[in-house]
Amino acid sequence: MILTSLDESLVAAARAGSAEAFSRLVDRHQQALRAFLRRACGDWASADDLAQEVFLTAWSRIGRLEAGASVRAWLCGIGYNKHLTARRSAARERAREAAYEADRDETVDAPPAEKLALDRAMAALPGDQRACVALCLAADFSHAEASEALAIPLGTVKSHVARGRARLLQALETRHVA
Amino acid sequence: MSPDDDRIADGRLEALFALDAPPRRDAAFTTAVMERLMRRRLLEEVALLLALSVAGGVIFSILWPAVQPMLVALSQGFAPALGAVALGVCAWIILGGRLSAAPGAVS
Repeated sequence: MILTSLDESLVAAARAGSAEAFSRLVDRHQQALRAFLRRACGDWASADDLAQEVFLTAWSRIGRLEAGASVRAWLCGIGYNKHLTARRSAARERAREAAYEADRDETVDAPPAEKLALDRAMAALPGDQRACVALCLAADFSHAEASEALAIPLGTVKSHVARGRARLLQALETRHVA
Repeated sequence: MSPDDDRIADGRLEALFALDAPPRRDAAFTTAVMERLMRRRLLEEVALLLALSVAGGVIFSILWPAVQPMLVALSQGFAPALGAVALGVCAWIILGGRLSAAPGAVS
């Protein structure tokens, strides 16, 4: 509750033109947004670029944020729309997928085999399902918050999370057995 | 799966996801965002000033034939008065500064 009211006061100050307040909002929500976009995109560098774009868009649209709305859900919603727009280009998507594997090897020092299995299973999930899993299982979003962020009905979010979770666990078990 | 198994499985997923989570605080990322934001604001302000200057110039050039005779007439009528006012202001600034700096002057 205290965090929400702090967000509200920062949003109010940013609406009045305070760059300092907006900077604090960036600082507070960058982790959730970047983690979500990294898991939704698969490509870390593109995800971080996209996250910066999201904050620039948020600055110009902050007047449209409804009172009492979750800031991180709003940011993730903008990010998801930008991600979907970017994904429409098939060529760029293929390049991202190729860069994903290359990046993973360079940026993470010898990740556990279990983590690699999880990443592969995440990459194999359908886009909407992956986004729901990224918000509800990898971050601490509630189903309602994820539904608001992704503009997907609550029931669909719940089923996406349940199916995605089952597939991830199955992938981990398969790796364990193998 | 029992509720305990569910909790263990969720904890396992959470722990694996946490391995590559971005840092909670990232000053470099925040600085990069704010730098881009400030650059964008500067460009928007420069573009606005440029557009206003061009628009003002165009409007003034269109209105100039009508404005010029008015300015000439006004300057002929008001030139002596404006000159006197300008001299008065200069005198007030110079003498006012000296008077306030004089010993015993109340500031």
